[in-house]
Amino acid sequence: MSRRLTHTLGSLGQEILLVVVILALFAFVGVYNPRFLSENNLTSIFVGNAYIAVAAIGMSLVIISGNIDVSIGALIGVLAVISGLLVTNGYPIWVAWLAPLVVGAAINAVVGCLIAYARVPSIIATLAMLSILSGGLITFTGGQWISGLPAGYQLAQFRLLNVPSPVWFMIGMTILAGFLMRYTTFGRSVYAVGSNPEAARASGISYKATVVKVFAIHGAIGGVAAVLFATQLQVIQSTTPVGLELVIITASVVGGVSILGGVGTVFGSTLAAILFAAIGSSLIFLNVSAYWLRAVQGILILATVLADMARRRRTG
Amino acid sequence: MKKLITALLGASLLSTPVFAQSAWTGGDDQPTNPLACTGESPAPEPGEYNGGTPTNAPDRNGKDLTVVDIPKLVGVGYFASTASGMQEAAKELGNITINTDGPTRANIDEQITFVDNYITSGVDGILFAANDPVAIAPVLEKALEAGINVVGYDADAEADARQWFVNQALPNGVAKSMMDQLASEIGEDGSFAIVTSTFTTPNQARWISEMQAYTEKCYPNLKFLETVEAQEDNILSFNQAQTLINKYGDELNGILGMTSVATPAAAEAVQQNSLCGKVSVVGLALPNAMKPYINSDCIQSTILWNTVDLGYAAAQVMRQVADGTLKPGATTVTAGRLGELQIVNQSQVLLGQPKVFTKADINDFDF
Amino acid sequence: MTAMTRILIRHEFILGILFVIVLFAMASQNDRFLTTANLLNQARLMTEVGLIAIPMTFVIVTGGIDLSVGSILGLCAILLGVFWQNLGLPLPAAIGLSLAAGTAAGFANGLIVTRFRVPPLIATLATLALYRGLAEGISQARSVRGYPDWFAVLGRGDFLGIPTQLWLFALVAAVGIFVLRFTTFGRTTYAIGNNEAAAEFSGLPVVRTKLLIYTASGFISALAAIVFVSRVSTTRSDMGSGIELEVITAVVLGGTSIFGGRGMVIGTLIGLCLMQILQNGLSLSGVRGDGTTVVIGAVLIVAVLISNLLSRFSSD
Repeated sequence: MSRRLTHTLGSLGQEILLVVVILALFAFVGVYNPRFLSENNLTSIFVGNAYIAVAAIGMSLVIISGNIDVSIGALIGVLAVISGLLVTNGYPIWVAWLAPLVVGAAINAVVGCLIAYARVPSIIATLAMLSILSGGLITFTGGQWISGLPAGYQLAQFRLLNVPSPVWFMIGMTILAGFLMRYTTFGRSVYAVGSNPEAARASGISYKATVVKVFAIHGAIGGVAAVLFATQLQVIQSTTPVGLELVIITASVVGGVSILGGVGTVFGSTLAAILFAAIGSSLIFLNVSAYWLRAVQGILILATVLADMARRRRTG
Repeated sequence: MKKLITALLGASLLSTPVFAQSAWTGGDDQPTNPLACTGESPAPEPGEYNGGTPTNAPDRNGKDLTVVDIPKLVGVGYFASTASGMQEAAKELGNITINTDGPTRANIDEQITFVDNYITSGVDGILFAANDPVAIAPVLEKALEAGINVVGYDADAEADARQWFVNQALPNGVAKSMMDQLASEIGEDGSFAIVTSTFTTPNQARWISEMQAYTEKCYPNLKFLETVEAQEDNILSFNQAQTLINKYGDELNGILGMTSVATPAAAEAVQQNSLCGKVSVVGLALPNAMKPYINSDCIQSTILWNTVDLGYAAAQVMRQVADGTLKPGATTVTAGRLGELQIVNQSQVLLGQPKVFTKADINDFDF
Repeated sequence: MTAMTRILIRHEFILGILFVIVLFAMASQNDRFLTTANLLNQARLMTEVGLIAIPMTFVIVTGGIDLSVGSILGLCAILLGVFWQNLGLPLPAAIGLSLAAGTAAGFANGLIVTRFRVPPLIATLATLALYRGLAEGISQARSVRGYPDWFAVLGRGDFLGIPTQLWLFALVAAVGIFVLRFTTFGRTTYAIGNNEAAAEFSGLPVVRTKLLIYTASGFISALAAIVFVSRVSTTRSDMGSGIELEVITAVVLGGTSIFGGRGMVIGTLIGLCLMQILQNGLSLSGVRGDGTTVVIGAVLIVAVLISNLLSRFSSD
């Protein structure tokens, strides 16, 4: 590849890099096994990680504001169980769909207050929430799965124009959050708070209010992710996947959100979540021995990050 | 940039196995003992007792017992149902209190810490399902040395680290039930893939190896495609099953689910793809989780021992071990409503054969 | 403010008081808690987390983080088994090679962080996946068992009536305290955490120091792997997963600022002991594991809140 082309590519965002990697992966695996590109498989790649992509949008906001949240996996588990318990106890389905958003926003608003007003560093506040939520979930449910969900509850199995609803949620929420971050005062204040809290304060932006809002929004988005998580199958598991928070954080940072705050967009994280789903699927199609799956994932993450770093150094 | 992509693709290619695998992925390397293809296999002789003995255990005959149950992990339906069986037995016996407590992840280290803490707190008995047979052995030996009665269920430890083990079904029996059921659904020359939890889970690895041995002996034309890992995570299980369906298309006739999480998720994937009747799902799962699929005729069966009975039997055995009525050399043990259970493999109490639940009887069970 | 009050409001001091309160509260709940046998046994159980927490304190003081420690532990455990059983090397040689591999893994982390300037959170998130993947790939998910009896002395034996690994831990902790407190290296570590650019500008060996710290983190993780394998007498590729969160909880509970520049090894030790006696004490008082998890989360928040409150009060 010529130096000029490298430079051109380099000056574009992490999003372009991700699109290129995703397309290259699709092309390569597609040649190896055309079934990879079948409509069915593409759909499952998009659907499979949609709830992770949605949760990563909120995580991106949190990271851009200069914070981190390691409790999101446990929160999704708690909200999914709340949704399931509401609907199996006779509440209307729409209540079960909306309650996780409200509860998620409320819980995370409290976390946001701890961070903003009580000055507890976000990693500590959310580490503590991780313990409280995951321990509390087991105490509360005793490990019983929730089954006997009524018909019409499975939101994630609906289709619109023959496209499954999780894909619509993923796209819709990405665009919505992208708009919010780019064109509103709130969005600009999130970037300002993340890149330089002192300067933000000096220019009249309330650090505290912004952080609390960011966490509340993140909680509500987590609620959407939880509903997608809960309604994909006929039962709701009362534990969350081990390490879900790391997957979500990884999607955000591989998507180009700088862990130092102030930089990044929500589009990148959605692309990264799609990339992870595509990698998971392609390893099965390529017959990569499943024993090596995680190693290949690690190499890919590392390569994406290193490429991004090299690019920034050339352009920066 | 281009170099990077080439390097990445190269890396993926390198790890692609070129040769067909001789062993099924996810099996262990222990010797196998496949059952006869047809007819009953003769019951194995129990042999000489090889379990451990608690040191200076006090006389607990008829006395109130405080027992802790430490499963592989809490928070899954499987161990919630074994725990409910234990409570049932505790209620029936009246003189035994059982408290279930364990790690939230199937983690060998945390489980050891739990056992250790309960030894210190001075319980009379420990019921366990081991995450690793060797890793848990030293701490269980310590319990025996402290005079505590130790009984395992579901997943064994090394024999001399516990007194008895309540075995839900012998691995070769599980293998036979699974493969017979699969062959009856997809024919003796069908192709199938396996969804398991992780390759390091001892029970699943054991069953996969026994299934391979039994298949080579009895169904040589069945074609094994591959094994995928799905943790104890139902969305991941669903995604993995979905990818298998997408990858193999018509070539895939059946999916074997090795865990109570993987099997319902695989059934869901089959149902959502409208492949009912085209792709069979055979596997281990709780009847309650499989009812939606079996009642709608999408899936024909689910295989499992009665997990409530497993917990019930473990509690009954614990009572009799503490009372001193179950002694080394016994050939049967009477376990409350379950009647006589057979002793096998020197120091194991056998719950029975795995049961195949079908539409005809699945609604009679609630666990 | 007098020197005395300055000591009194130190986070470590408050934590020490909290520790004593918890100790007495637990002892009054259960007479089996405050016995030499139980306390020594608890010390044995916390050694692996404790070992890794020492270099982690250094890492966090520089403003970095190392999420890959659990995966390095898993990888080194597997390598120990592979070198010894599959390659037929003598066990001491296998131990040496495994320690070398862990050191190399830590060195690789350091290189990615310093040479490529990838933020530590992302770099070690990627190697977390990579090292765990290597462990799974190399072991093909087989466990190695049947270690000779002499090897068990390290993990299960006693020396002068005290668990063997506790001597090792004491040694590592003493070295950690000394280096961070009394050497130029320690002062450079704080300087990097306070202001990396300034440290670099004033001619301090920033790159070398960070490289050494991440390498040490890898080495100690490997050491923890040896102790772990010896204690449980088996190797599995999932060993040590999730240990990074326990380690980080102990370090931040111990008063090390996640933003860098502040923290002491003594604090980490108190934080570690507090976590361990809480877990043990609550368990002995009949609180189930999930309840204990909730309490630890709450204690983490409360400790930081009290510390924040007092420092605000004293600065007024």
